[in-house]
Amino acid sequence: MADADEGAGAPVAEPLDLVRLSLDEVVFVKLRGDRELKGRLHAYDSHCNLVLGDVEETVYIVEEDEEEEETIKTIRKQSEMLFVRGDSVVLISPQAPS
Amino acid sequence: MASQLLPLELIDKCVGSRIWVVMKGDKEFSGTLLGFDDYVNMVLEDVTEFDYTGSQTKLPKILLNGNNICMLVPGGEGPVAATA
Amino acid sequence: MENGAASEGKDPSGFLSEIIGAPVTVKLNSGVVYKGELQSVDGYMNIALEKTEEYVNGQRRRTYGDAFVRGNNVMYISSDS
Repeated sequence: MADADEGAGAPVAEPLDLVRLSLDEVVFVKLRGDRELKGRLHAYDSHCNLVLGDVEETVYIVEEDEEEEETIKTIRKQSEMLFVRGDSVVLISPQAPS
Repeated sequence: MASQLLPLELIDKCVGSRIWVVMKGDKEFSGTLLGFDDYVNMVLEDVTEFDYTGSQTKLPKILLNGNNICMLVPGGEGPVAATA
Repeated sequence: MENGAASEGKDPSGFLSEIIGAPVTVKLNSGVVYKGELQSVDGYMNIALEKTEEYVNGQRRRTYGDAFVRGNNVMYISSDS
């Protein structure tokens, strides 16, 4: 399918090339369940299993108070290194989002 | 059992016609079926996307992931025509 | 031979090769929408997008220079006319 433009200097012949080009760089990862990670990408595989170093995890929790008004609470956690199972990955971006 | 029509043969007969797609969740699509593959990923043209809220979105041409398809209705024009 | 239909953009792989490089809308099963230029797609429907905008509940949330979207989350890819 994408074979045609291989060797034409196209760095992204297949989607996972985008992840390969992000090795050893800081990546932003969106996970299922309103979670986000930012950390250095040490390793990945075809399932999108990831190993990230120096990670900041952000969890968004919707809270409903007595008046049924929704507020979004964010929780931040730091980890030296973590493994992400690929099936929870939604999006990986090489740069920090703006 | 003289002539059994396989499920994918039925879908193949729908190529070029309008089709109504009901997803596993609260979502439905209607459009002209241009093509499909073995996973029943489908290319649809002149598509209307039906939300659970009843809102409709028009899309010129889409590739619909076969993974979350529940049911296909040949010739269907979507939930609006069905209830009218 | 098998590319007979594909070259007309009628079956899934033909449609995809037709819209590579074009602006597309990708809708996920969660309802989140990504709009961007389609760089590439693979057999899992993993997607690489360029100049990506993220919409949650119809409102623009974030932008990404490049974005990889894991295929199992994808509901549809739409070519923006």
